[in-house]
This record gives sequence, structure tokens and C-alpha cells, in this order.
Amino acid sequence: MKGRGRARWAVVLSLVLMVAMVAGCGGSNSGESDDVIKLGFLGALTGDVANYGIPAEKGMKMAIDEINAQGGVLGKQLVGIYEDNKGDSTEIANIAQKYITRDKVVALVGDPCTGLTKVAADIAQKNQVVIFSGGATGAGVVEIGDYVFRNTMLDTVAVPVVVDWMIKEKQWTKFAIITSLNNGYSTALTPIFEQEIKSQGGTIVISETINDKETDFSAQITKLKGVGADVLVFTGYYTEAALIMKEAQKQGVDIPMVGGDGLYGQDLVKLGGDAVEEKVFLYCGFAADQPSEQTAKFVENYRKLYNEEPDMFSAQYYDAVMILAQAMENANSTDPKVFKDQIANLKDYPGVSGNTTIRADREPIKSPVFLVTVKDGVFPSLVTKIPVNVE
Amino acid sequence: MFLEQLLNGLTLGSTYALIALGYTMVYGIVQLINFAHGEVYMIGAFVGLFLVTVLGVNIIAALAGAMLFCMLVGMLIERVAYRPLRGKSSRLSALISAIGVSIFLQTLLALLAGTNTRAYPSVINSQTYNLGFAEVSLLQIIILVFSALLMIGLQIMIHKTRIGKAMRASSQDLDASYLMGINVNRVISFTFAIGSALAAAGGVMVGIYYNAVWPYMGMMAGLKAFAAAVLGGIGSIPGAMIGGLTLGVLEIMGVAYLTSSYKDAIAFGILILVLLIRPQGLMGKKITKKV
Repeated sequence: MKGRGRARWAVVLSLVLMVAMVAGCGGSNSGESDDVIKLGFLGALTGDVANYGIPAEKGMKMAIDEINAQGGVLGKQLVGIYEDNKGDSTEIANIAQKYITRDKVVALVGDPCTGLTKVAADIAQKNQVVIFSGGATGAGVVEIGDYVFRNTMLDTVAVPVVVDWMIKEKQWTKFAIITSLNNGYSTALTPIFEQEIKSQGGTIVISETINDKETDFSAQITKLKGVGADVLVFTGYYTEAALIMKEAQKQGVDIPMVGGDGLYGQDLVKLGGDAVEEKVFLYCGFAADQPSEQTAKFVENYRKLYNEEPDMFSAQYYDAVMILAQAMENANSTDPKVFKDQIANLKDYPGVSGNTTIRADREPIKSPVFLVTVKDGVFPSLVTKIPVNVE
Repeated sequence: MFLEQLLNGLTLGSTYALIALGYTMVYGIVQLINFAHGEVYMIGAFVGLFLVTVLGVNIIAALAGAMLFCMLVGMLIERVAYRPLRGKSSRLSALISAIGVSIFLQTLLALLAGTNTRAYPSVINSQTYNLGFAEVSLLQIIILVFSALLMIGLQIMIHKTRIGKAMRASSQDLDASYLMGINVNRVISFTFAIGSALAAAGGVMVGIYYNAVWPYMGMMAGLKAFAAAVLGGIGSIPGAMIGGLTLGVLEIMGVAYLTSSYKDAIAFGILILVLLIRPQGLMGKKITKKV
């Protein structure tokens, strides 16, 4: 009897809680949703990929403030909502859902990581809300649906240019490749490099694997010693890149490293120290060195506001917000169903992170490709700018 | 090449061994798997990092400071999380308590220090020596020598001192030792302190060697060290040393001669294999329970 009574109480209590929760949700988003336009930020503010998310948030805030200072979009103020997804795929799913149902955002801005963007993109597509990533470079993102966009230097666009630079400019023809197996970005980028190296006449002399969060790479580096590679292509993130270069230095292996914008983060220098100095080269869609006119203005304002250098993620998130605002203005609507077509038709948009054109398959083509390195402890330091043929 | 890989393996293995010793000593006396032990190792790495970067002390002082601090942490964990449960509830409760302490310490450090990976400044220059048959780095030599010294010191303490004798007695029969007038609470506390100091030494050395310190570093290292302790025979001190070194060498050789994709699979696969063939571990004694 006693047990049964308790069970009944539990049912009653959970019903009460459910009603309270539903009422709570309803209460918070009624009324004000028409007065402002809400954008939801996706990115990690803590954790392993916080080096991408923190500058991204700053770029987004700056764009929103600039737009609001000039009267907002269609007479309404823009409001950014910022939550920390910690680089975790469960967190980002919860946050995306919350932004859409609780806050009624018109667009999600982010995430910097391909894998996480895909998780959020599924949710955005289902709910017919635009998602605009300022960082996802891997395959299979915009294919998710017609509400999904991104504004980044695509790996498939940049890698041919970078491999050409390595073989023709640097005369590096023997390649070692290291892939991080538990990193979706890395496992997607490696085949792009492999295919391009082979088709441009280079040879891959050794292919090794690691896992993110491992710290012992001694065996892999010792194996590199005997094979005579000119350059090490590493397709993972900056933390492991720095640790690999440290290990190489420890073992006296003198080899340059080339990678994608996954290596883009100040921790590359903090963890790598002199082991990465003019040794690690990576491609990306933005560099504050030798800026164009609009980039120079952005860099100056950013420095004034935050007292630091902007990076690729702050620039791409800034551009993403600006492109969204322009699309809403042009469509004369804040309805994602309507203004998404304006983004799809973007031609030669002169952003602060280079010129962007959205192709017919909704993929962005950006020019030029920037190659950057660490020089005198400063990251990013520009090595060269290589223009990309848009067609 | 083979000898260099062997050295890589021994270096990795000696850090596993230092952590494994803590698991095995505590298990030997109170039959508890102290799952918070990996976190003590992590805290050791952080304390060392703090001492080197913030207070600017030299590396020997940082190592000593981290070991002392973790002795206190280890004793505190035992006093707060395990002693109140001892004798009053099942061993399972203590195990759950250990997992709780582990999660608590991880999140505490994540809050205090952030979850970014941090690096030790270059405290020891990265010199390599060519011995003719193999290249060896100064850091590897330091880690190998220092780990060996710690383990020899531990053996001397256990076999030549009064407290060592008390520890051995307690591990044979806790109740009988108590009846013979041994202060078993003090012995247990001391065991936690020694194990924690060794883990802290491991943490600082790994921090310097691999340049990576972060709040969740204790989880995988703890699991590997636990596996090493079981491999060597849990409860056996020489077993933990041999188990740690074996595991480190096998992992590195797996990457060197098979494939780097299966590093952890090789390590844990061998663990399962050993347990199937020799359930008591490499050095463990077969225990027949009297009914």
C-alpha cells in the first residue's frame, strides 16, 4: 500500500512539474519576439575548441552593435543570444533547440566546427531556421538542406592551391601525413590532401594516425625519422599540432608542418613555443596583415573595442551577421523562409574575410587563400596570399 | 630504431608505473580501487605548473611541492570520502564514493583552471644525446632515472622501516594488525599519502615531458595505470612497476610496428588476454579463500 501511494504521488508531482514547465516556456517568449530580431550564437567559450569560439563571439557582437548603431535591420534592433556549447555535440543540440523554441531566433550563427555545425544544421533545417556557419570547412554541411549556409575557406578550394605551393614553390615532394582518428574534421581533410598530392605528382611516404587528447606521440615521430619526408601534413587541431612539433623538436626531427585552419588558434604558439616558430604553415580565409580597405577598417575598430588582434573566426562571424542583415533588408522580411534566398544569391560580397560568392550548390567560394605561420612568436603572420579562380 | 622505440616505451611506462603503485598499495591494504587516484596525478601536474609559472620556483622545488601537496590531498580524500564508510558499509559504497571524488576533482579543476590544455615552460632544455645505437633525450633520462629512484626508495621504505612493516602487516590482515596494536588508520592514511606523492611526481614529469596539462588528463592515465596494476597483479608492488613498464612498451611497440590506430585497443586487449590466462596478474599470488 505504502509503495503504491508513493507512486501515485510521483505521477501527480511530475504532472505538476510538466505543466509548470510548459507554462514557463510559453511565458518567456510571448510578447517581445516581434520587436527585435534574434540571432543565436553557436560556439565554445570554454573547452578544447574555445580558441575558435571566443573570438567568434566577439566578431558577432561587434557586427550586431554596428548594425544597431545604424538603426538596426528593417527598423528593428538585432539581439544576439550567447550560450557556451563547450564544443560538445549534445550541448549544441540542446542549445540550438532552445534558441529556436524558447528564443524564436531567425538564424543560428555558427558553429566554427564542421561536426558540430552538422548537428545544429539538422535541427535548423527541420525547424526552417537559417543556420550560417562562420567556420565549418568540411564536407557534407550545406547538403543538409536549403536553410544551411557557411562563409569559410573550403578545404576543397584551398587544398589544391596549398599543395601547388608546397610542390612548386617549396619543392617539397615527399609527404608524411598524420590524421587524428577521433576528429571528424581531420578524417575528412586527409583524403582531400591525399588525392591532391597524388594528382599533382607528390608521393606520400608515410601515413600515421593519432587521437585527439593523446599526449604521447613519441612512437609516431621516431617512425618519421627514417623515411625522409620533406614536410608533415597534419589535418587535426592546434593542440595536437603543437604537441607533435614539441615531440619532433625533442627528438631532433627538423620538419615543417602544413595544415588547415584547424591549426588556427593562439594555443598553437602557447603550447608549441619555439618548436612551431616558422615551422607550422596553415591556410585560412583571413589575415590581418596587408588588409584590403574594408578589412583594414574592421581590424582598426576591433583593436579599439577589444584591445587585441581580430582573427579568422571573428572576421567570418562578423561577415556572417552582416550578410544575414543584408539578406533581411533585401528581402524586406525577417522570415527565414523568405530571406534565405537572398543569401543563396550572394555574389562577390566584399567581406572583411575576403570576397565571398555563394555558388549554385550553396557552397561559398572565397578568395584569396591566406597562408600564415608563427613568426617571432606572433600568430598569425602572413606568408603569402594566393588568389582563387571563382569558377 | 627499435632501441629508440624501446626507450620511448620505457619512459611512457615509468609514468604509468608511478600511478599504478598508488592503486596497488591502497588495494593491498583496504581492497579499494581508489578511482580518484588519476585525479591526484592531475592535481600534481597542476600544482607543479602553478609553482613553476606563478611562483617561479625551479623544477626540483616544484616537484617536491607537488608531491607534498598531493600527500595532503590523498590523506584528505581518504579521511573525508573513505574512512567514514569503512567497516560500516559495503566496499561497493566506497567505490562509488571514489568515483564521486574523481568527478568532483575534475570539475573543480575545470572551474579553477579552465579546460584549455596548458604547457609547462621549457624548464629543461630539449637536448638529445647520440649513444651510437640510439638517440635519447635528456628529459627521457631524467624521467627514467627519477622514476627508478622513487621506486627503489619505496622498496627500501616498505622492507626496512617500521611503518613499512606495519603496511605489510596491514595488507596481510587488517583486523589482526589492529589487534596487535598497529594503528591501522594511520597506516592507511600513510599509504594514501605515499601513493599520492608518487602520482604527483608522475604528473609533474608527464607535464614537462609531453607539455600538456588539463583537468581531464587523469581519467585516461588513471585507467591505463589501473590496467597496469591489474596486469602486474593488483596488490603487488613489484607487479605495478613491471605492469606499468610492460604496458608502456607494448603500447609504443604497437604504434611502431603494427598500426597507430589501435594503440588503446592493443593495450587493453593484452590486459584482457593476461587476465584470461593468469587472473592473478603477472606477479600476483593466487589467493584461495578459506570457507
